Amino acid sequence: MNKIAFLLLLFTIFNPSKENNKQQYIARQGQVTFFSYTSVENIEAKNNQVLSIIDLEKKEIAVSMLMRAFVFKKDLMYEHFNESYIESDLYPQANFKGKLVDFDVNLAKQTSTIKGTLTIHGIAKEVAIKTMIENKNNNYKLTGEFIAAVKDFNIKIPAILSSNIAKTINLKFRFQYQPYEN
Amino acid sequence: MKTFKKILLFVSLITLIIWSFWATLSVNKSSEKNLEKINSDYNLDSNDLVANFVNNTAKANGNYVGKIIEVTGYVKQISFLNNRKTVILYTKNQNYGVICDVSNNQLDKLKTLKKHQKITVKGTCKGFLMDVILLNCYIDLKTNE
Repeated sequence: MNKIAFLLLLFTIFNPSKENNKQQYIARQGQVTFFSYTSVENIEAKNNQVLSIIDLEKKEIAVSMLMRAFVFKKDLMYEHFNESYIESDLYPQANFKGKLVDFDVNLAKQTSTIKGTLTIHGIAKEVAIKTMIENKNNNYKLTGEFIAAVKDFNIKIPAILSSNIAKTINLKFRFQYQPYEN
Repeated sequence: MKTFKKILLFVSLITLIIWSFWATLSVNKSSEKNLEKINSDYNLDSNDLVANFVNNTAKANGNYVGKIIEVTGYVKQISFLNNRKTVILYTKNQNYGVICDVSNNQLDKLKTLKKHQKITVKGTCKGFLMDVILLNCYIDLKTNE
């Protein structure tokens, strides 16, 4: 999804008028971490500038992240990730939009399922993710983890490096939301 | 002739050692960068930077992503969320901002910063969501007002 489409998503699904934004919350510094474990090499990368907006009235959530904002331990891992696997010039963002299923706004702490469409490397896939939702003083926190298969997103790993990259990637997320005032 | 072969062998060996050393350094090169002494590709204020992305994202991506940018603006927020050190700069439109993920060696400077203070930040531009994102940022306090 390109920038214009994402802004359309934000300003249509999450209508920013004063009357409608009472239940909207924003996280500008969400964290997404991915792990690839193999016997040859463990690879971890973190993105600490993930954008997310939730609308608790509509029970909707949108997430967007820049692939080039993932930080790796080594420069070479960053280069391989962006240039060979994710092709960040062609697909600079990953996005998710979905619904909070069985979410109860009155509970301070609960486990909920998020169902929606995850788009990575230009490939959209329907996913269901369990998440812990906590509300403390009207600041929401969402945490959770899930597994994504590399082949589901048409990410091609060269044969010579296939033993270095896991076939399934563990993804962890942590978003701290504040009321969205605009 | 024997001497020539010895010299050739010696040169080949030295070349192999240097190449191995260079390859090891390249593979293990840390992603942490110190941009203090590296010249910036662009120098502009936070309002202009964000306006360029909002007005023409594709063009701004082409110009700025992957480049080192010096941005001057006013401190909106200092954050230690996710164990990161982050400065967010104001822009005219409150929906947008510049998120600067600051290098670890800038902690002392970060502690002295105050909200609304004017600063210049140099970092590597990663792109734009609702904020322009700069990583490995170096804080220049010379512009303090």
